Amino acid sequence: MPKVLPLFTKALTDSWRSTLAWAVGLSAACMLYLPLYPSIGGSAQMQDLINALPPEMTKALNYDQIASGPGYTQATMFGLIGFLLMSMASVGWGAAAVGGDEESGLLELTLAHSVTRVQVVLERALAIVVRIALLSALVFLLVLGLNGPSQLSIDVGHLAGAVLLFAALALLSGTAALCAGALGGRKVYGIAAGAAVAVLGYVFNAVGRQSPDVEWLLNLSPYHWAYGNSPVANGADWGAGAGLYGISLALIILGAVALQRRDVGV
Amino acid sequence: MTQAIVVEGLRKKFGAREVLHGLNFAVEPGTVFGVIGPNGAGKTTIMRCLLDIIRPSAGSISVLGQDPRQAGTALRRRIGYLPGELHLENRTTGRRVLEHFAAISGPVEQRHVDELAERLNLDLDRQTRKLSKGNKQKLGLLQAFMHKPELLVLDEPTSGLDPLVQQVFHAMVREAVDEGATVFLSSHVLSEVQQAADAVAILRDGEIVTVSTVEALRTAAVRQLRFSSTGTEPHDVGALLARVPGVANVAVREIKADGHVAGAVEATATLSGRVQPLVQELARLNLMDLVLEEPDLEEAVLTLYIGQPVGNSESPGSAQTPAHGHRPGPRAEGAHRA
Repeated sequence: MPKVLPLFTKALTDSWRSTLAWAVGLSAACMLYLPLYPSIGGSAQMQDLINALPPEMTKALNYDQIASGPGYTQATMFGLIGFLLMSMASVGWGAAAVGGDEESGLLELTLAHSVTRVQVVLERALAIVVRIALLSALVFLLVLGLNGPSQLSIDVGHLAGAVLLFAALALLSGTAALCAGALGGRKVYGIAAGAAVAVLGYVFNAVGRQSPDVEWLLNLSPYHWAYGNSPVANGADWGAGAGLYGISLALIILGAVALQRRDVGV
Repeated sequence: MTQAIVVEGLRKKFGAREVLHGLNFAVEPGTVFGVIGPNGAGKTTIMRCLLDIIRPSAGSISVLGQDPRQAGTALRRRIGYLPGELHLENRTTGRRVLEHFAAISGPVEQRHVDELAERLNLDLDRQTRKLSKGNKQKLGLLQAFMHKPELLVLDEPTSGLDPLVQQVFHAMVREAVDEGATVFLSSHVLSEVQQAADAVAILRDGEIVTVSTVEALRTAAVRQLRFSSTGTEPHDVGALLARVPGVANVAVREIKADGHVAGAVEATATLSGRVQPLVQELARLNLMDLVLEEPDLEEAVLTLYIGQPVGNSESPGSAQTPAHGHRPGPRAEGAHRA
């Protein structure tokens, strides 16, 4: 009985534990951060405190916008802790999907069976997309659920757009990890590439916001492409979203082509 | 009927290092073809090329009449593969591993899986990480055999198996061949190939030293000969042995145990080739004792591994001595060459 997308279903079922763990982490982050908004972001005292901080620091942390509910959610959840957790999850999955699998010796036997390499990359990439979509949907629901109780006043449409960008950003570091793993056959290459995309994106954004002299760095920051206009507050930049998803797709295809063309397990 | 595997001029380079230097061989359908060679000789590389896991640098490969590079998934469905280093996922059971492989290379009859598991005495519901090396190997064999492939490519299949299970494995190979399958297997010990294979290729440093039948190897293999006789002079014995084709390393000495048995002679030698001429010559003697050992195929192969007579100063590591090669390969000439 031929199964539909056997590698995809296997990748999903094999990773349910880690998916669940990241879901717990993201839920905890949402439920710890967002309810604090009325006492932090909205309070005049807190605003005084933030004003007292060096402006470079508040800019780097995006805390210049936390006086509003959407800004607070943008800066804390989507811009910091959620971004961190999602990037880690995504990079881990991406690096394991091909590079890690090859390094552990498992890929050889899989490829000896009746699958193509392109199929391996595409199905496993799809499994990453689905996991990121699940976690992002969870974040969407949690923020939506806390919107009222935590007095965040976030527009639902803006939230949806922000979540799509949040997912796109995570997917980008994951597909970079997948692609590097498929190119090099080592998990560590994937981790390095994925982490580089996430960390450099964050750093370029933080530094680029400091002064007009280094503003050009923002252009190199996927983080800035996604979050530059504070999508939770202002709605998504759909062009940026399409660009991010497009690059991810290109990285997946590049990974598939690279794996198709080289020796495995040497 | 086309040959199951045809390899012509196969070369493989990893970077600047060439590990296969233009191999040629063919495997007849419905036979068992064994490749033996020391570790690092290139056995695994050949097998990975057959499965399109790695790609040849030059030369052509035909597997079941198709180029593995072009044929794609339909060809691999017809092949069962056991990698030399079997890695299995940890957090799963044997059954789930097999289900997955059945899903990507099926169809597989569940009854057949259960039957093989029972024969191999393998518990499919145990966690794979708790399986011993031998049990993992059984699982590897099972996934290679379970879809009744037309071609089995097995890299060191009996590694880690106890002798009883090895017998089961050999029976499985025989049955597969009886049903028309072709088996391509490798080993670094001959005894394993000897039992299963119809033809044997000996691989050394990326080159095939010889392809022959086990029977021919046996004929070429060296036997140890030892006898003692009375009523002859040592040089007569030496001369007699020198007339026999294939006798070498002759050493003859007189035994003067108590003095009153004059001219007792003990001789040792090696024999390669046919036994009959030797027996005819020996019949002229008054033999007290005769020992002609089983041909030591291991030693025959070891000779081929090493290639050049003695001078055994191959680069370190490349000429790994097979486990049982306790004797030196080609011996120095016998002391008494009459």
